[in-house]
Amino acid sequence: MPGMRDVEIRKRSSEILILLAIILASIPLITGYLLLVLSSFSKTMFTNLDPNSFHPTLINWILLFQGRTAAFAGIHVNIWRIVLNTLIVALGISFLVTILGSLNGYAISRMNFPGRKHILALLILLHAFPGSVLVVGVYFIYRLFIPPLELVSIYSFFYVIVARAAVEIPMATWLMKGFFDMIPWEIEWSAIVDGASRFKVWWKILLPMIKPGLAAVMLFGFLAGWMDLIYVRTFLVDITLAKFIEANTYAEYAYLPLVAAAGTLYLLPTILFFIFAQKLIFTISVSGIKG
Amino acid sequence: MANALTRLQAIIITIIIIVAVVAGIAVWMQTGGGGAPVTVELTGNLETDIINIGKALQDNGVNTVKYTVWSGGDPNSVMRIYGIVEAAERINKIWSDHGINVKIEVSTYYASNPNSVYQDYLSKWGLGQAPDIMANGYVYIASLADEGYVLDLTDYLNKYTSFLNNFYQSLITVMKYKGRIYGIPQDTEARPIYIRKDVATCAGIDLSGLAEKVKNGEFTWKDLYNLAKQAKDKGCAEWGLIHRKGSAHPDLIQFIYAYGGKLYDENTGKLVLDKEAVYKWFATEKAFVDAGLLPSDMMSWDWGKQIHPTVVDGKTFAFIGGVWHWTEWQTKSYYTDPNTGELRPLTAEEVKKFFYYTLFPAGEPGKKPVTLSQPFAWMINSKAGYQNPDYDRLKDIYHKLAFLLVVKASDPDIIALHSIMSSHLPVTKEAADLLGNKQWIDNLKSLSFILSDKVRNEIKSIVEKTANSINIEFLKNVTYMLEYTTFTPMHPQYPKLADYFADAIDKVLRGQMSPEDAVNYLVQKINADPDLKDNTEIIGEIPTGWSFP
Repeated sequence: MPGMRDVEIRKRSSEILILLAIILASIPLITGYLLLVLSSFSKTMFTNLDPNSFHPTLINWILLFQGRTAAFAGIHVNIWRIVLNTLIVALGISFLVTILGSLNGYAISRMNFPGRKHILALLILLHAFPGSVLVVGVYFIYRLFIPPLELVSIYSFFYVIVARAAVEIPMATWLMKGFFDMIPWEIEWSAIVDGASRFKVWWKILLPMIKPGLAAVMLFGFLAGWMDLIYVRTFLVDITLAKFIEANTYAEYAYLPLVAAAGTLYLLPTILFFIFAQKLIFTISVSGIKG
Repeated sequence: MANALTRLQAIIITIIIIVAVVAGIAVWMQTGGGGAPVTVELTGNLETDIINIGKALQDNGVNTVKYTVWSGGDPNSVMRIYGIVEAAERINKIWSDHGINVKIEVSTYYASNPNSVYQDYLSKWGLGQAPDIMANGYVYIASLADEGYVLDLTDYLNKYTSFLNNFYQSLITVMKYKGRIYGIPQDTEARPIYIRKDVATCAGIDLSGLAEKVKNGEFTWKDLYNLAKQAKDKGCAEWGLIHRKGSAHPDLIQFIYAYGGKLYDENTGKLVLDKEAVYKWFATEKAFVDAGLLPSDMMSWDWGKQIHPTVVDGKTFAFIGGVWHWTEWQTKSYYTDPNTGELRPLTAEEVKKFFYYTLFPAGEPGKKPVTLSQPFAWMINSKAGYQNPDYDRLKDIYHKLAFLLVVKASDPDIIALHSIMSSHLPVTKEAADLLGNKQWIDNLKSLSFILSDKVRNEIKSIVEKTANSINIEFLKNVTYMLEYTTFTPMHPQYPKLADYFADAIDKVLRGQMSPEDAVNYLVQKINADPDLKDNTEIIGEIPTGWSFP
């Protein structure tokens, strides 16, 4: 038919235009990251693009790995412990969000039960509330179960993970439901006819088919935990990277180039995660069920 | 399918049971095993009290007591936490010398932003995670005491009168809230005006005897304006005056006091907006900006890249700073070495060579010079010791031990050490005396006096940089400023008012508001906030026919 074109084929000129727009929109972001990374290798913050304010040095990274917060400070912090704390929170949230999101998504996609539609609507409503709004209510619930003695530290990790994951689960559920919806019923039926339980079908047959979705939900959960400040700041006894950076950014006393080094370190896992999961995640836009 | 659901149900039920059991154990442990509370009376003799408390703990089966201390500020001020660590080591030694098998373990947290530490304290208190001891600005006492988050120390201090009397009494006065004492001074400071000697020489300005003239009220802000203008007009400096940025609290409100105004009414317990003094402050700064002596965007300058380099590189005639800058300039790379072009800290000799210091001059003839102190205070959590065994029964002992830790952390050598490292003023007379003790100073340089290995290793690099005769002489020379000191009001609503001040002066400096409009803007802001309105008296009138310079 004249005038009809495959959706996958665009005019070259429009492609260039879109690419240009994307590059333009990304410039502030990329500049910000670049200045941060460069500042971490400079004696003063390199923030005004003036080459005179770039004084190259490795001292910030050395100080950071020594756990010092300033060149002559008497404070030592265990930076690896801080990274570990951040990883515990991020991986904990990622795990919980992925497991519960995919279980919920499966149930809502495949099972008919009373109130299913209402739950779907409610999930979106839950996602509309930002974490900062929920923190007060969550705080009061937490106060009801204050743990004693040595449990405080462990419990506060547990609590941050559960509370932050709860904020992420509605969206994860929606995402996962979408992926489950795309898998033909026949695959599931044939497995059930062969004697598999619903749990086994979910775990052994369906999950491997929605790896891109799982990777995306896992990544979003990880990033939510990695960058969380409000729940970590309110509930966690231990320090995470976000809290470390925030607490040492007070401009008068702070040795900001060292904070820039901490900020660059803070960026790394996200970049690594993105690089390794990139292929998997990109398949979402192609098929949604490509495994 | 039935099997699967049953399995899922089983998982959920198991989780519920685990949570219930953990919560049950938690509640049981929290309430303790019951029994009558144990108490130990304080005698006022530190060593006796330490021994009595140690024995009581041992008799009740407690061999390890854990405390947490938090603080914040510049990196040179870490004795704010290590003071408690050192005190614990000293108490442990007393116990071990007397055969008492109890130890205190202290964990620490230090951030560069003291306000963030305070915010953390607020959010963590209700969850039982706040530290047992916190060193922070005394201004937080009002809100923490109002909430019941800090221990009322009045009764303890009544037993420790000689300890209490050793502090400068003005510092104890500001530790009081509604007649009760909630804090013990940890350090204090003055905010001198630093004047560059080299810039003055270049402009032909003779600084000799200036500090004395300022002290007598013979040299006012108008005179400072004229000198700054002279320095700038002769091309000796880029700026006439630089001051700190951000919140006007507490540096710039010195202008209000210098113009004879007040910020707090002790009789009514209310904040005060003194329109006349505030107007004169705004008009003074505006005159500096109009003459090109003060940057119009001063309130948003960058500390590390603009404010400190401008001051240490000699690009300004005067700087409204703090005593702590004296050693900060010696430990941070703000100075561009003219020979190498490299950034480096100043040496003590250079700081002495470059900077003259004086009180904050009187606003106009007939008024008095001032400075402003914002002492740090040790505050003790009203649940101190909460994370130790049998808290309900032994609460009194844990509270008193936390108090004794603070008393021990106020040993003269610990206070003097903090003063030298951070260029803060000592809070007790005994500590001030130590600064004049040559033998102690000699020992300090090699850190060979009694100090635990743990603390010695942590502070070694700072002591090497800061313990020298020039810095000690500086501290001795500025201590007189405490006689002229003023304080910010300790009122829960004050931080809000301070923010409005900062906002208003920023608008004046940028030329967005006239001083008169800025005063009226403050009045509007106060009236628009019911809490602030109820707690603030607006007094005085904008003067007519008054001009600066």
